[in-house]
Amino acid sequence: MRRLQSEVGVFARSTYFQYVALFQWATVQGYIAYKVLLPVTQILFFVELGTYATGRQNALYFALGNALQLTANAGIFGVIATVANERQFGTLPILLASPANRLVTFLSRAVVNVIDGIATVIVGLAVAAILFGLDLQHGNLLLLGLCVLVISFTTAGLGLLFGSIGLIMRDAIIIANVVYYLLLVVCGINFPVSRLPEVIQLVSYGLPLTRGVEAAREAAAGASFSHISGLLAGEVVVGVLYALAGYALFRLLEAYARRGGLQEAY
Amino acid sequence: MISLVRAAFSAFAVSMRLRVISPWAYLNWLLFPTIFTAIGLFVLSRPGATTTQLAYGVLGGGLIGYWGVAYLDGGNGIQDERWNGTLEQIFAVPTPLWVIVLGKACGSLLFGILSFLPTVAFAYFGFHALLPGVDAARLAISIGVLSFTFLTISITLTPLFALWRWAFSMLNGFELGVYVLCGFMFPVTVLAPWAQVISGSLSPTWATRAIYAATTNEGPHDFALWWLAAILISLAYLVGALFLYQMVERRARVSGELALA
Amino acid sequence: MQTAPAIEITGLRKKYVNKRGTFRRTKVENVALAGIDLAIRPGELFGLLGPNGAGKTTTTKILTTLLLPDSGQARVLGLDVVKQTSAVRSRIGFVFGGDRGLYWRLSGLNNLRYFAELYRIPPDVSKRRIGELLERLGLAGREHDKVEVYSRGMKQRLHLARGLLNDPEVLFLDEPTIGLDPVGARELRVLVRELADAGKTIFLTTHYMFEADSICDRIAVIKKGAIVAEGTPSSIKRVVENQGVVEFEVVGMPADRLAGLRGLAGVSSVTVVDQELAQVVTVHCTRPAEVMTQLGVILEGLTLRKVSSREPTLEDAYVQLIGEST
Repeated sequence: MRRLQSEVGVFARSTYFQYVALFQWATVQGYIAYKVLLPVTQILFFVELGTYATGRQNALYFALGNALQLTANAGIFGVIATVANERQFGTLPILLASPANRLVTFLSRAVVNVIDGIATVIVGLAVAAILFGLDLQHGNLLLLGLCVLVISFTTAGLGLLFGSIGLIMRDAIIIANVVYYLLLVVCGINFPVSRLPEVIQLVSYGLPLTRGVEAAREAAAGASFSHISGLLAGEVVVGVLYALAGYALFRLLEAYARRGGLQEAY
Repeated sequence: MISLVRAAFSAFAVSMRLRVISPWAYLNWLLFPTIFTAIGLFVLSRPGATTTQLAYGVLGGGLIGYWGVAYLDGGNGIQDERWNGTLEQIFAVPTPLWVIVLGKACGSLLFGILSFLPTVAFAYFGFHALLPGVDAARLAISIGVLSFTFLTISITLTPLFALWRWAFSMLNGFELGVYVLCGFMFPVTVLAPWAQVISGSLSPTWATRAIYAATTNEGPHDFALWWLAAILISLAYLVGALFLYQMVERRARVSGELALA
Repeated sequence: MQTAPAIEITGLRKKYVNKRGTFRRTKVENVALAGIDLAIRPGELFGLLGPNGAGKTTTTKILTTLLLPDSGQARVLGLDVVKQTSAVRSRIGFVFGGDRGLYWRLSGLNNLRYFAELYRIPPDVSKRRIGELLERLGLAGREHDKVEVYSRGMKQRLHLARGLLNDPEVLFLDEPTIGLDPVGARELRVLVRELADAGKTIFLTTHYMFEADSICDRIAVIKKGAIVAEGTPSSIKRVVENQGVVEFEVVGMPADRLAGLRGLAGVSSVTVVDQELAQVVTVHCTRPAEVMTQLGVILEGLTLRKVSSREPTLEDAYVQLIGEST
């Protein structure tokens, strides 16, 4: 019991520090630029593009897809920023040398970004609803909320993998940028996955977001939980796999660093 | 005078040298435009799509890439100079700042226009999409006018970026909003009327309109009017730029803001 | 006939205004220069000596046209640095300390070529001069390497080469040896002295007392934006001429005893430096012998060690002027 208490304490403190570290770069202007302007303009651009191509009645399709994809903004860039901070301020060796539970410290990096991701979706959807008059009356909003929660976790799982890669490569942020924009192509954000070549569809279903976005679209159209539970379960499995891969890489790097092989991580 | 031209060329050459070895430059002119082209064509090239919609898919990514490099690289360049500590140095040379910026901006344009190569190729090989009707002469002039609008914007914005780091963050966050307002991937006529007013005050909007008209055979063909609008608005920006450069000179010397705080 | 000064500063003042907070903005004023006067002769190697934040960099930046003063005048080669900006810029060179200010991803040669163009130097002249500078500053043979692989010392010499591209009549060096290892710093000092001997006017700032002492013709000591002493190194030493220094070690130094020591007649400053378990106390005073006898009274009951009295050094003069006493 005591052990558990201390773990919870470590987790809470660690999360708090991640929060402070994550936003210490942010001036008010920076926050507005990347947490308000960027999400809103991304949704605007793709909704206008989509409705120009397919008609006004499809605004919800594009708004929902892009709002959900924006969780990846928080998940991927947020975790990478956290790791970059750890490196910049030299706190990583301290973290590695501490007796704290590895999994706990590792996962705490993602928590802030999950919350941040959910906030982004809400802001994005609200703005789109006002500008394009989205109608969610027939949707299963509770279920849609569950989808948002799940997707925020799974994209953060992808982010955790990039966080670990960020320990080896200084330019991980570049790869993250590429992946972020590729998600827009392959995850059924702006057009159905079925239109992609079959080989690429395999990639689509190997990534988080794809199943979650599909489930969220169904929920927004009024589907019941049993209808989309399979998709959501698949989404969770994919997200956990990425987080585990990130954790495995993190432990591997830790062992490697202790043998003196990984100066770069410090 | 000759020494000024040489200074500008030297700034151009250095900006090219730095860009060739920067991975970000390749993302901006090669990868991002191609990704946007892919999304644009998947969305726009449905059965029953009009030829104009197809043209937006073919050229939209290239326009986005061109703009992205022209202003984004310029803005990043200034931030890099600030981090390097060279911003203060180029400020204290006998060559006026705008000459150096002009040289750098030309480098950005040359790199940016490359964006049309991967995007148009991708449209052709990936989607067998071609431009419906190309009026080569008018297209060439329109691209020239577009380049001029990008050049003037790049020159105008640089002093802002030099003074205020947050100005660059803001524009960076608003990046996709610019694509919307300038009509890079869909016509601005689909926007709300108030948004169209803003669009109209942006010089690239008119040049972009001319580019699409020169590639689709459709709609009115008021090329001369569009070119004139783009050029006049650009010149108005330059008048503003004149004021901004004076302000940078003054502000920077009062507060020492060019040094990295 | 008296020659016109190469640099002339009268009543120069500058304060920075920082705004703090985002919503409730408060202004914080920071006086960097509180009205300074200086005159530097052509061909002189002049050192501005002072601790961090004393106003050295601000002075250098005003003189190199990078910063505007709030009031007062500054002339370089008879030109007003506020108004005749571009005339000043083409006739001066400047080097700031640290390894920033170069394009790391370009070669040393390309860095120099680029700045030569920005200084609008004719190509034939710049080609010859770059070759000479590379040779003279010991960079020949490495000019095609990227700056990022240069050592700190090489980067600093490249900085110096850049500062000399336009063959400036006046060269400004702001803490040029900062961050260099002792060997690199000494090499740079030798180079700077050679440049001065070749007739260039050099304005050097430093917070290393020995650096100013070893190469400068004349020194001014700046403290909190004001000049507190000016003259040759030996004339500045005279500030503490009639003084002596008493030093001793003590374990634990209560505040009241310290005050008592300071209150003694003739004591001008008392410095306490912690050294492991003990404190080293340095007392500057006019009558060291008297202080020695009083020590036993004031510090009764404390363990004193290594009590000694000595002649003042330039470092003592500097410490006294800057007043870094606790």
